[in-house]
Amino acid sequence: MNFDLSDDQRTIKSTAREFLAARYPLAEVRRLALEDEQGWTDEQWKEIVDLGWPEIAELGTVEMIVVAEELGYALAPTPLQSTWAAGLLGADVSAGRGAVVVDELAADAGTADVLVDWDGNSVAGAEIEAVRALDPTRRLFRVTGGSREPLGGDLDKGRGQVTVMNAAESVGVATRAMEMAIEYAKDRKQFDRPIGTYQAVSHACAQMLLEVEGARSAVYWAAWALDFEPETAPLAVAVAKSYAGDAGRRVPRAALQVHGGIGFTWEHDLHFFLKRGEANAHAYGDGAAHRERVAALTGL
Amino acid sequence: MDLTLSPAEREFRDDIRGWLEANHPGPEPDDDKEAFEFRRAWQKALNDRGWAGLSWPTEYGGAGATLVEQAIFFEEVARAGTPPMANVLGLAMGGPTVIMHGTEEQKQRFLPPILSADEIWCQGFSEPGSGSDLASLKTRARRNGSEWVVTGQKVWTTYAHEAKWCMLVARTDPDAPKHRGLTYFLMDMEQDGVEVRPLVQITGEAEFNELFIEEARVPDENIVGGEGQGWPVAITTLMHERAGLAFALQVQVHILLRELQEQIREAGLADDPIIRQRFAQLYVESQVLRLNAYRGLTATMKRGAPGPEGSLGKWHWAEVNQGISELAMDVAGSRALVNEGPWPYRFLRSRANSIEGGTTEILKNIVAERVLGLPRA
Repeated sequence: MNFDLSDDQRTIKSTAREFLAARYPLAEVRRLALEDEQGWTDEQWKEIVDLGWPEIAELGTVEMIVVAEELGYALAPTPLQSTWAAGLLGADVSAGRGAVVVDELAADAGTADVLVDWDGNSVAGAEIEAVRALDPTRRLFRVTGGSREPLGGDLDKGRGQVTVMNAAESVGVATRAMEMAIEYAKDRKQFDRPIGTYQAVSHACAQMLLEVEGARSAVYWAAWALDFEPETAPLAVAVAKSYAGDAGRRVPRAALQVHGGIGFTWEHDLHFFLKRGEANAHAYGDGAAHRERVAALTGL
Repeated sequence: MDLTLSPAEREFRDDIRGWLEANHPGPEPDDDKEAFEFRRAWQKALNDRGWAGLSWPTEYGGAGATLVEQAIFFEEVARAGTPPMANVLGLAMGGPTVIMHGTEEQKQRFLPPILSADEIWCQGFSEPGSGSDLASLKTRARRNGSEWVVTGQKVWTTYAHEAKWCMLVARTDPDAPKHRGLTYFLMDMEQDGVEVRPLVQITGEAEFNELFIEEARVPDENIVGGEGQGWPVAITTLMHERAGLAFALQVQVHILLRELQEQIREAGLADDPIIRQRFAQLYVESQVLRLNAYRGLTATMKRGAPGPEGSLGKWHWAEVNQGISELAMDVAGSRALVNEGPWPYRFLRSRANSIEGGTTEILKNIVAERVLGLPRA
C-alpha cells in the first residue's frame, strides 16, 4: 500500500511545473489565447515534442495525468492533450498532432494531422470550421461529414484514459484557482483587515481544499486502476470524472466570488481558469452522466 | 503508487478476517448494562490476540502495528460488524496520551488495565460554557498538600457511568493566560465528589453524561505532563481521537450505502433519476473519503505527519454520513413519519456528526489557518 507518486513521477511533475511556468506565464497564456491565431506557436510545439511528452502515455497513465494536471495548472495552450486523446483512441500520432471529434466538436482539429471520433474511427475528408469557444485557451472546431473507418484500438481503456486525463487537467485548474483565491484573501483588505480573516471567506477557501484534494485522490486512483486494476477502472474513471469535473468548475466559481469585482474583469486572469474548468466539466461526459454510470456500476 | 496490499499485509488481513468470522460474538444484548459487559468480554478476547492495543508499543502490551496494519484492522472490524470494544476512550485517547506524556510509573500503573478493560476511561474536557473554545474551561483544581481539590462541571462524558478514570483538564492557575493555566489530571471516578447524571439526547438515548464535580480529590502523581501543561497534553488526546477512526468510519459509510441501495430497490425507486444521482454522488464522496484516508496514511508514514488531506476527513465524513441518512429518509417517503427501524435513529444520531469531536466550523478554521495559511480572525 503506497498511495503517492513515485520518485520518477515526482520528477516528471516538478520538471513539468518548472518548464510550463517558464514558457507559459499568464501573460503568454493571455497572448496566445487572445492574439495568436493558431493559439500556440510552432516553436512551443517543437519544444514539447523534444521533451517527449506526446509519447508519455507509453510510460503509464499516472505519468500522463501528472503532466495533464500541470498543463491545467499552467493553463498552457497546446494541442498536446488532443494529440494524446487521438492516440489513446487508436490513431497513429507518431508523426504529428491529433484531435478527437465528440458530438461534432473537436478541440485543435484545425491544426491536427489525424482526426478520430469517440467510437475509435478515423475521420477523413470532413468539413472543419472554427467555432467561438467558451474556453479561449483552446481552439475549437465543428467537424461534419467525412468518412469513418474503425481503427481497432483498446477503446474501453483508451476512453478511460482520455476521460481521466481531462479530469486531471481540471485538478490543475482547480488547484491554481484555489491558490489565486488564497493569495487574494491574504492581501485584500476591507474594513481594515484581510478578507481571509472573515470566516465567510476562509471557510470558502477550506471548501476549495476539500474538493481539490478529493479530486486529486480520485484521479490518481483512476489512473492507477487503468494500468494495474482494470476490473475497477470503469467505476474509478466515473468517480474521478464526476468529482474532479465538478471541482474544476466549482473551485474557480468560488475563487471568483472571493475576488469580488476584480475577478469579474477581463484583465484579471481568473476567468481563463473558470472557462477551462467549465468546458472540461462538459467534455467526455458531464458530472450527471458519470454519476449515472456510477449508479449503474454499483448495481442500482 | 500501489493501492494493493503487500503479501504480508494480505496475510495480516486474512488472519484478522478469519479470526473475526470464527469468533464473532453475535448481536449485542438489549439491556445497556449487559451490553457493556458484552463489550468488555469482546475487548478481553481481542486483547488476548494483542489487538486491543494494536498501535501501542509492545513493551506496554501493544502489538506495535504499522499504520497500514491499523487501517486494515479497523476496516476488517467494521466489515465484520463486531461490537465496539468497551474501553474505546482509554484505548484510542487515554492510553496514547499516557504513552506520550506519562511517567514510567504512570505507564506501569494505568496501561495494562486499559487493555484488559478492567478499568474504563472517560474524557472530561467539554463544559457547558466551553465547547469549541475548550481552553476557556472553568473547572478549578486547587492544591492542598500533595493532592488537588477539583470543583466544576463537565458535559458530553461518554461512559462516565462505567468509568474508573477520567481524563480531566482543569484550571490550576486562574491568573495565567487561558492556554497556560491548565493541567491534565487522571481523576478517580469512584469518589463522593463526583456525580454522574445521564444526558438524554435527541435520539432519546443517554449515550453521554454530565459530570458534577464537588471537591473531588486527585493526588499529585496523577498529573500527566506536568502542572500547567494541560493544553499540549489535551491536544495529543484530541489528535488521537481524529486519527485512527478515519478507516473505521469510511468502511461504515460503505456498509450503510449498501443498505441504502437495498432500501431504494425496496421502495421501487431504483429507476428514479433524482434518487440515482443523489445515491451516486454519495457513493463518489465515500470513495473520495476512502482514497483521502489512504493518501493521508502514506503521507504520515513518509513524512511523519499527515498531509493536507488528513485535516479534511472528519468534516467530510460528517457531511457524507448525514447525506446518507437524509437520502434514506427521502426514500422512505411517508413512512419516514414513523420512528421505527434503523434509519430514523441514524438520521437523528447523524446530526451530531458535524459537532462531536470538533465542529465542522472549527475544522474549517484549522484548515484555513494551518493548512492554507490564511490569517487568524
